[in-house]
Parts: sequence; structure tokens; C-alpha cells
Amino acid sequence: MTVNTVRNAGANPLGLLSNFWRKQAPNIIPPVLGVLGFLTIWQICSSSGLTRLPGPLSVVTDERTRTLLMYPFYDLGGLDKGLFWQTLASLGRVAQGYSLAALVGISVGILVGTQPLVNKALDPLFQFLRMVAPLAWVPIALVALQQNQPAAIFVIFVTSVWPILINTAEGVRQIPDDYNNVAKVLQLSRKEYYLNILLPAALPYIFTGLRIAIGLAWLAIIAAEIVMSGIVGIGFFIWDAYQQNYVSEIILAVAYIGAVGLLLDRAMAYLQKVIAPTEQK
Amino acid sequence: MSIFVAVDQVDKIFPLTGGGEYVALKGIDLKIKKGEFVSFIGHSGCGKSTLLNMIAGLSVPSGGIVTLEGQRIKQPGPDRMVVFQNYSLLPWRTVRENIALAVNSVMKDLPKAERKSIVDYHIDLVGLRPHADKPPAMLSGGQKQRVAIARALAIRPKLLLLDEPFGALDALTRGNLQEQLMKICEENNVTAIMVTHDVDEAVLLSDRIVMLTNGPGSQIGQILEVDIPRPRKRMEVVEHPSYYSLRSEIIYFLNQQKRIKKLRAKKTAVIARHGLEKVNLELGFVPLTACAPLAVAKEKGLFQKHGLDEVNLVRETSWRGIVDGIAGGYLDAAQMPSGMPLWLTLGGHQNKFLPVVSAMTMTRNGNAITLDKRFYDQGIHTLDDFKRMLLGSPNRQHRMGLVHPSSMHNLLLRYWLAAGGIDPDHDLSLQSIPPAQMIVDLQKGTIDGFCVGEPWNTRAAMEGVGFTVATDLELWPGHPGKVLGVREDWANAYPNTHIALVKALLEAGQYCADPANEQEVRQIIAQREYLSTDMAYIHLGSSSEPICSLDQPMREFAHHLFFGDGVNRPSRTEHLWHMTQLARWGHTPFPRNWVEIMERVCRVSVFSTAARELGVLDVKYTSGSIQMFDGTVFTADDPISYLNRLNIKRDFSIAEVVLDAPRLAIAA
Repeated sequence: MTVNTVRNAGANPLGLLSNFWRKQAPNIIPPVLGVLGFLTIWQICSSSGLTRLPGPLSVVTDERTRTLLMYPFYDLGGLDKGLFWQTLASLGRVAQGYSLAALVGISVGILVGTQPLVNKALDPLFQFLRMVAPLAWVPIALVALQQNQPAAIFVIFVTSVWPILINTAEGVRQIPDDYNNVAKVLQLSRKEYYLNILLPAALPYIFTGLRIAIGLAWLAIIAAEIVMSGIVGIGFFIWDAYQQNYVSEIILAVAYIGAVGLLLDRAMAYLQKVIAPTEQK
Repeated sequence: MSIFVAVDQVDKIFPLTGGGEYVALKGIDLKIKKGEFVSFIGHSGCGKSTLLNMIAGLSVPSGGIVTLEGQRIKQPGPDRMVVFQNYSLLPWRTVRENIALAVNSVMKDLPKAERKSIVDYHIDLVGLRPHADKPPAMLSGGQKQRVAIARALAIRPKLLLLDEPFGALDALTRGNLQEQLMKICEENNVTAIMVTHDVDEAVLLSDRIVMLTNGPGSQIGQILEVDIPRPRKRMEVVEHPSYYSLRSEIIYFLNQQKRIKKLRAKKTAVIARHGLEKVNLELGFVPLTACAPLAVAKEKGLFQKHGLDEVNLVRETSWRGIVDGIAGGYLDAAQMPSGMPLWLTLGGHQNKFLPVVSAMTMTRNGNAITLDKRFYDQGIHTLDDFKRMLLGSPNRQHRMGLVHPSSMHNLLLRYWLAAGGIDPDHDLSLQSIPPAQMIVDLQKGTIDGFCVGEPWNTRAAMEGVGFTVATDLELWPGHPGKVLGVREDWANAYPNTHIALVKALLEAGQYCADPANEQEVRQIIAQREYLSTDMAYIHLGSSSEPICSLDQPMREFAHHLFFGDGVNRPSRTEHLWHMTQLARWGHTPFPRNWVEIMERVCRVSVFSTAARELGVLDVKYTSGSIQMFDGTVFTADDPISYLNRLNIKRDFSIAEVVLDAPRLAIAA
């Protein structure tokens, strides 16, 4: 029976496709309709002169923008690079800052979560710093670090570290007494306790923090790059385009930013699903 | 065997957020032997889990110490493995990994292969081989708990601690797991302590059951030994004669705790009115036909008539409830079996002398001895037949039920048996069972007969499970049945209330005794608040309709006596007879100062005053001797030589019973 099914499927890929379509159509059609509707209204608004903002079609109709759209991989040296490279440069910074934030956030979070005294000492500070907007960090970072590149990474770090830290600490505090009691009764060593009980138990919380943080980091990089002139990156690209009044280029870049942000979040979610599956009750 | 775990004067106090403190446990003393299975039972919040946690070392006692093999327990350790109520399996590890974590961290010194085989062995032990590599989330509740048990056993703890291990499971799974746990414990000689609130589970699994009183300041209320032999089977245990008495003992205890809690919350002040010291009374009774005067006095407003405005009747299912109520001070007065005032006074209850007085005999007659119907079918119709049967089957343990050691039933049954040459302690065994339980036990065959007040004899006959082998008429016509009993300090503190109470009950007795009222009285006591039974089972006297279909001439039931000449006046001679019988069977010592005791217990003056004020002076006092069915005549002349003359008796002791000087109760 199983063999038959497989053979049928193999013999008739078209049938398989139509089968897939029948199943997935309700999930695909509404979002596509929604996006198309949004773009149409936008296009109508700009065509009718209601707003000076070019419509979405300008991404294709404008020649400069079309070039950017068609050739994301060109590299003419200096700041004149395709959007892929611009995005990649920004992503690279995010990766560095975010990794640093994850490392510091998780370890300090564990410390704060396990030591109530440390928590009492540092919590007000954390709550205070957490409220400072990413843009406000830019001048401070520039003064403190003198260079654009490290300053950008620092801004990423300082924006994304708080959700990781706070969630990790909360996750450690939320470890059920049962698990801790098991550890106590078995007299697990400190290392065994961290590896076998604490980390796995706090993992869902840590991942929630990581997922919030990746979104924040991506937001921060754009803000940071807009302010820090003269570097390769999608943020500065937008700023540059604005200065030169290439509005449709901005629209294209914004589409890139949105898409990358979405991909990052999805990637994180996937990672969470693989590493820390939620327990089915 | 030596002491394995010792809990020594342990207190546990929790600080409250408001700044105060909560005393959870107070003065807990417990010794546990190796290989023993002990259960803690009690209401929620009584501190049983706290006690378990202190033995585990997960929490530290505020006072006193806990030791394991003489070593003080200060912190948790793998020698005292806990099986938690909610399994506490790590959800990110498979069954095998969960067990392996425990084995690997506790038995580091063993070679890897050996540790692996230990893990495998225990997976097999709980029958989870097919599920060994699944995460706990994929298992059912019962399977998870089996993993937890396997994990606990795998590290070979000296002591297994189980915190409501089966609380969250369905009945079927629970039953299976209980049997598995029992088997594992027996095979490996595991010492175990289990917290539970399931009475049947406690009886099934335990060697001893520790019952904790309600908090704050919980203590060990009682410890029950479970004498059911091992190995036990869940289905067979229920047939063991001890099972139901253990079970009802625990349930009684738990109910009692609940009631005490309620009474603590109530805490009524004494209300004095109409020249009476206290008009708000709690009167205890046991639902029997003999409770008629109390029920009638309540329903016909006779308590109010005599100024007792707020009388509350408290229904107890067994005489123990009456004893605890009087001893604990939350009953003002109670209907008691005729021997109970003396029994309490002479230290029958927990070996403490509790002076109780009686100013009135409320009923006479109304008792009978019932035997299993099958004896009748075997041709056993008389005491002699019964004796022959008993002596003819020495291998079989015969049991008879009675309601309380101090009750007339016990004394009459023993007297009846002894008069026939049967030793009530050697030739058969007598067991205390609540009256309402008798018929069920007789039906199940856990007892062979009983002596109890009506309506239970009538009911056994009507339902065809038993037959009446002897009634009052054949034993001691007109014997005292139930008396009014109050604590001596109560009687001294509220003398006028005492007289008013006797007046109300005397008048109620008069009402009950009038044949014109019989129908109404039967109706009243059949109500829910009282016997809560079919009126057909209730007879105040010889019923006109036949109630059993035996071909033997029907035995006459003596009429309950509620009122009349010599019925109600407390009789010194009768009290003395009780004193001799209680001593005869070793229940209480015989007091050398018996005259003094008799005078203190028997409050004739209260009765006389009440009778005079009620204008029933014509109630005569017929004193003198008691004529028993075996021909002996009992007089109040020389009780000690009477005791010595008896053939069948225990080694009774004669002792000077020194009671505290009569004193006034301090009105709370």
C-alpha cells in the first residue's frame, strides 16, 4: 500500500502539486491578496497626486532603482555597492554586536537570576539603561570609542542585551522548585546543575529574549548607520539616497530591511523550535 | 529492630510576610524501624508534606532534630530519595536519561557499563522498556510516576520518601501502581515514608499510619498499626477483618479533625438566662432508638419549656465521638451507654481519670444479641448450641461486634457468653464497630454476630442477615440502657442547668412512654436528623407485626422503658454492677474506694430535685438487688468477693482511684 502511494506520487508530480495547492491555498491566498491590495491603494494614492511619495511601481519604473533591483551584487568599490553587499555589511555588524549581547546577556542573566543579592544591586541600573533609546547611545558610543565601526557594534550590543539579560534572569528564577529539589536530593555538582538543570530549564525564556533582541538589534543598526556617515551599510544607503532625493531607492531599501528583519525573526524561531521545543502537556 | 529514622521533638515555624509566624508542626516524635512502610495522613495544610521535607532535608526543623541511623539530617541527599507528587522529571531528557542522570551523579565510582545496567534494570523493574527513549511528555501520568519511582529506587536510597505519589492518577492506574510499589518495597526491603490523603491507600500500603491533627501546631494525633499480613493484595485486603475498622478509625479521626476546626471557629460564650447558668448546650447522641427522649425534647420544645433556649443536638456516629466530645469539652452533656460515666471516671479513656457524673437513666432495655443467619440454619438456636459450635471449630477465629467497651452491650454480651461458659476473650474476639456498620459487617461475614441497641437487631432480622438469639428479657429485663452523662466540673459549675436538663429529659421520657404517642415518637426519630431510616425498623416495644420468618417461636422484644417507677432514678447498685463488670474484663481497675466513686458518679440529688420540681414525686425508688438470667443475684454488699467468685474473668486489679477534688469549671 505504501509502495503504491509512493509510486503514484512519483509518477504524477503534477498531481502532487495540485494536491499541495488544494491544501495550502487557504493559507497563501489571503496574505497575497492583502499585500496586493495595500500596494494598489498606495499606487493609486501616489498616481492621483494625493501624496508626493512615489508609488511602489516606481521601484521598477525609475531607472536607477531598477538597476539596483536587478543587480544587487555589483561592487564598484568604495560606498558604491549593490544592495546585497550593503545589507550584508549591516548584518555583519549585527552579528558581532548581537553575539556579544547574547554572551554577556546570558551569563549576567544567570548570575542575576541565581544571586538575589546581585539582582537587588543591579536591577535598578538595568531597568534604567534599558529605557535609553538606541539613537541616544550613538553620540555616547562615538565619543567613547572614537571610530564608526566599533561604535555601531556597541550600539547593537547595548540595545539588544537587555531583553536577553532580563529574560534569562527571569527564566532562571522561574525554574520549578521540583527541578531544584531533584538537583538538591541528588547532590548534583555546580557544573552538573548548570548543564543538566539550569540551562535546559531556562532555555525557553532565553530564547524569548534572543528573539526579541534580534528584532531590536536590526532596528538599531539602521538607526546607527543613518547617523554614522561614510560606511557601507543599508542604513547609510537610505540616508545617502534621502540626501540625493532618490525616494524610490529608499522604498527599495526599506523592502530589503523589512524582508531581512522577517527572515531573522523566522530563523530565530526555527532555531528555538529545534533546540528548545515547547513541552507538550 | 533498631531505630532507623528518628524524629525527635520537631517543631516547624514559618515566618509570615506580615511579620508574625505560623507554627506548622509542634512537638513531633516518631521512630521508624528499618523496612517499615509508614504513611502520614491528615487534612490539607496539616504539615504532613512539611514533615516529609524535613526528613528529606529539603527544609530544616525550627526545633528538635531528625536523624537517619543516628546521623543528624541537615541537607538533602541521595540516601533519602524523594518521589515528588508531580513526578519532577526533566522534560528535556528521555526516560533513560532521567534515570541515568540520577545514577551517574550518585554512583560516580561505578564503571560505566555497570551504571548502564542499573539504569536498564530499573527501567525493566517498572515495565517501561518500550518507552525508555521517549521524553516524559509522551508518557501518561502513571508512566511518569513509574519513571520517578524507578529513578528513586535506582540510586538505592536507604529511605524512600513519597509525597502523595499517586494523588494525580486515575483510580485504575493508582491501584496498579500501588501493587507494584508494594511488591518492589517488599522484595527490596525498602524503608518508606509516604504522604497521602487517601485512606484506602494508607491502609493497603502501610505498616503504620501516622495521623496528624489540624494545624496550626499540628501534632501526631494517633498512630495506627496495620496488622494485615503481607504480601497484601488490593482485592483481598478489603476482606481482612481489620480493614474496615482501620478504615473507619482513620475516617473517624479525619472527621473529628474537621469538626474540631469548626468548633474552634465557633467558640461560643456561655449564655446565662432565666436563672440558669448556661442555656446554650451542645448535647451529643448516637442515632439509636434510645435517643428518643432527646429527639422528643428537642422537637416538642421541652428544652425551651425548662429555660434551655439554645440546645443543639450533635449527632455522633459512634460512642467514641461522645467520649472525645465530653473529654474535649465541646459537648456539654451526652446520651451515654450506662457504663460510660464510670468507665471515663476510672480512666478507661487514655488512662486518664475524667470524673463524669450521671443524674438520670434515660432508657432501659432495647438491646439484643444477634447472630449470623447461617448459624440459625445450622441449628444453632441457643447459647449452648453456640458454645458447642465455638468449641467445635477452634481453628476458625470467630468475631462479634460491639459498640464500645463501656457500653451495656459489651458487658451484657460478655456476661451472656461467660454465663454459657464461653470466654469472650479467648474463645472468640470482640471488636468495637460503630452501630451503623454492624449489619454491613455481618453481611460480609467479617463478624459472626453482635450486641447492639435497636434498631439494628430488628433490621438484621428483617433483612434476613441475622437472627436475634437473646433479648433484654432473657438477659436482664429492665437493665439500664442509656444514661445522661456530664463532666463533673460541668455539673458543679452549672447545677441549675443540670437540673433543668434532667427535667426536660424526664418530661420527654414521660411523653415517649405514653403508648398514645408511640406513632409520633417513631416518626420523629426516623427523621433525617436522627436515625434517618425507615420507620418500619423502629419499634419502641414489641411490635404487633412479626418481623422475622423463623419457624421458632418469635422472641419477645422488651419494650424500651423511658419513664416510670425506678426507671429514671440513677441506681447505685447498677453503677456498682458496672464497676464490677468493667473490672472483671480488665477495662478499668476496681476502685478500693468504690463507695466514694459510686457517690460521686451517681447524682441522685439532682434527679430528686428535678423530679420534685416536675411534680413526679411518685417515681419510686426500687432499690436492692439485681436478678440476672443465670440465677445470680447481685447486691451492693460485697463487690470484691462477688468478683472473686466469678469463674470466667480477667486478672482484675484493685486500686485506690484518687480523683482530683471536685472543682468548679472555669467558665471559658
